[in-house]
Amino acid sequence: MRKKIFGIAAVTLLTLVVSACSGNNNNGNTASNGDNTAQASPSASGSSQPKDGGNLIIAVGADPVILNPNYAGDRVSLTIDQSLYAPLFQVNNGVKTFYLADSLTPSADNLTYTLKLKSGLTWHDGQPLTADDVVFTFDKILDEKQNSFFRENLIIGGKPIQVVKVDDTTVDFKLPQVSPAFEATLVQLTPIPKHIFEKEDNIEKSTKNAAPIGSGPFKFKEYKTGEYVTLERFDNYFAGKPHLDSVTYRIAKDTNAANLALQNGEINVKYLDPQDVGTIEATKNFDILPYSEGRLAYLLFNENSDTGVLGKKEVRQAISYALSRDELIATAYSSKDYADPAKSFVTPDGLFHTNDVPSFDNDADKAKQLLEAAGVKNLKLRFIVSSGNKAQEAASLYVQQKLKAVGITVELKNMDASAYGQKFVDPNAKDFELAYAGYIMGYDPDAYSILYKTNSTSNYTHYSNKEVDALFVQGAGEADATKRGEAYVQLQNLIAEDAPIYPVAYTKTIVAVDKRYGGLDEAVLKPVVIFEDLSKIYLK
Amino acid sequence: MRQLIARRLLQAIPLLFVVSVVCFGLVKLAPGDPVLSFVTPNMHAEDIERIRHNLGLDQPAYVQYYHWLMECLSGNLGYSLVNHQPVFDQIVDRIPATAGLMGISIALAILIAIPLGLIAGSNRNRFIDKAINLFAYIGISVPTFWLGILAIYLFAIKLHWLPSMGMRTIGQNSAWDIIKHGILPCAVLTFGFLASYLRYIRSGTISQLKEDYVQIQYAFGSKKSTVLFRHVMKHILLPVITLLGLSIGDLVTGALVTETVFSWPGIGSLGMTAVRGMDYPVILGITIFSALLLVFGNLLADILYGVADPRIKLGEVSS
Repeated sequence: MRKKIFGIAAVTLLTLVVSACSGNNNNGNTASNGDNTAQASPSASGSSQPKDGGNLIIAVGADPVILNPNYAGDRVSLTIDQSLYAPLFQVNNGVKTFYLADSLTPSADNLTYTLKLKSGLTWHDGQPLTADDVVFTFDKILDEKQNSFFRENLIIGGKPIQVVKVDDTTVDFKLPQVSPAFEATLVQLTPIPKHIFEKEDNIEKSTKNAAPIGSGPFKFKEYKTGEYVTLERFDNYFAGKPHLDSVTYRIAKDTNAANLALQNGEINVKYLDPQDVGTIEATKNFDILPYSEGRLAYLLFNENSDTGVLGKKEVRQAISYALSRDELIATAYSSKDYADPAKSFVTPDGLFHTNDVPSFDNDADKAKQLLEAAGVKNLKLRFIVSSGNKAQEAASLYVQQKLKAVGITVELKNMDASAYGQKFVDPNAKDFELAYAGYIMGYDPDAYSILYKTNSTSNYTHYSNKEVDALFVQGAGEADATKRGEAYVQLQNLIAEDAPIYPVAYTKTIVAVDKRYGGLDEAVLKPVVIFEDLSKIYLK
Repeated sequence: MRQLIARRLLQAIPLLFVVSVVCFGLVKLAPGDPVLSFVTPNMHAEDIERIRHNLGLDQPAYVQYYHWLMECLSGNLGYSLVNHQPVFDQIVDRIPATAGLMGISIALAILIAIPLGLIAGSNRNRFIDKAINLFAYIGISVPTFWLGILAIYLFAIKLHWLPSMGMRTIGQNSAWDIIKHGILPCAVLTFGFLASYLRYIRSGTISQLKEDYVQIQYAFGSKKSTVLFRHVMKHILLPVITLLGLSIGDLVTGALVTETVFSWPGIGSLGMTAVRGMDYPVILGITIFSALLLVFGNLLADILYGVADPRIKLGEVSS
């Protein structure tokens, strides 16, 4: 069970393909946190004391693929796992919140990270959760036979990390080389119970996954295929008993029908498309929470196309000049409320993000000059579009019209979503120049190296710059935060100048939450999984 | 009769073979690559090839088809590429939800369509016929996803009579609860089926009314209603049987759209998910399963013909 597009980087592919459709967008976590507060407080002021009891129903778009965090890659499984399995720690705006872990300390040489677990942790079945479980989990991820797609994250510079138990609550991670991005990897990994899985030959196919034993605020109760998954309160949750009695993830495949169910109270929490916000807001029964998913929506330039014309930096800059970011945002996302203008390839939640970089935007005359200087005439470009994806369709029509004004003909090639996905990720695809896509890469900028380093696995633009390659290597192995920051700021400038993509917007996700529920602030809105910690949510 | 059944079953073998080849071919020709759903952005080309090899997707299509066919003959429909669960189990799990919904809808549609069709046919071109015809055209033309949403809006949101989605209230498992959830999807499906059945029955009625036996009944002084409901109706049963036979396939393949709109956990929504995820084994499994039922349904209809009208003796005519 995997739609293996997972974890943080994982989500990327999914968003590349599916993404733009939901047309969300935004900027800054701070802004969104501000929103939450503003919205949650009026309700909280009514009866500010959290009450216990009640059920929360969250709409999900499909059945979960697998309720085991070593394998979950699809949005639904990740969302449910967030409540079922507590993480070691999470990072928001660069600040760590510790869950199962008590602390994480790098050694002086930055080659060993010592993880201290909280004491007295237990699994949902009452068994103690110890360092043995952590070591077991990492060993299984590293075991090639177990097929966990997280394995790549634990290989640094071609060598696997070593995970050693020190005592019952202490684990040492030994890295083959300095890697500050390792913390971002730990954020994605969640211990699975050794006592449940140690005798299973193939954990992915194990029947034990049908009744998962986790460590999160809610434990597994019931799964009705195609209908819902219900979790109930776990009284021994280390951070205190959750307020709600239960949480149900209701599978609703039809968006329109699910919006009606939301209005009818059969669903309490649901993602919204921008065009549906008005209808739901008008009922006055919901808090509408737009928040950053750490996602960049961009126009891709394929330098590998058979015409090779986009291999010239000036042509890419000229195309950028011919477009207007603000117009494109208005066209694709209806409002700036759900999309913030983007200039850097790093999203605002990312470390060392800066939007103060070169930008080529909204200057048709400059565009014509650059094209002329580059000696390019009668340019024809092919733009691949996933049919039915509203943001992509809108963006492609806009680009076609704007480029016509500077003498570039754009041929739109609409195709089925899966054909689009296949062509987009095919490193040998030469029959298109433009595509509109998006990615979510997580907060550590090292994650972006797979997109922009020469010949790396997901370099869909086929961009290549020796200086950029060197800076990515430097940034990945630099323990000093200041020096590391300098490298990544320089990278953002270089890449912006080279224009391998035209960054459009940092898009937001919009979630509607029934006003009867409080504690949304403390639960923390989180990309992909909606809430970081559902134990904090209560019925007013 | 036994000969008829045997011959039909033999004929079904090449038919199923062709269906499976065509379906397999179509799935293979469709754009997209199932391996992509296993790929992460930081995987290297070798890793991707390894996954392709592990799934057997690196072999030529005819080899893949052969493997699938052999497994199929031994009763194994394969495993989902997405969640690795046996396809057969997934289909069987979902049969009750779909069969219940479709069975009731089809039965209701026929029960309503017969009297309405008789009335319309016997009042050809009069007001009542036109009214019933209009009703039928609406039923055929209105897309179910729209009708479904409208029904949810009216009966769940505005009137609060019925739940809007799903097959049961969370955590409940009573028959009454399931019935409540089934009313709306059932009504929407019934409306769709009803419309097409109505048109068959109406035209059947019109042609039957020209038959001699009808004139004789009238000559004997029978009332119109007696003629219609006692005599004409018997003859109308033949096309109804054909329709029923064809509907047996629907019984399990379900209604893709209606099940999706109402979040009904049936085979239709399983199929929809499989198509979106390029889950070959599940798509093939559902197709083969419904082809099998269609063959079975037609056979059943042929047998029932003989029962309904002793003049028809299919099995013996040609032997």
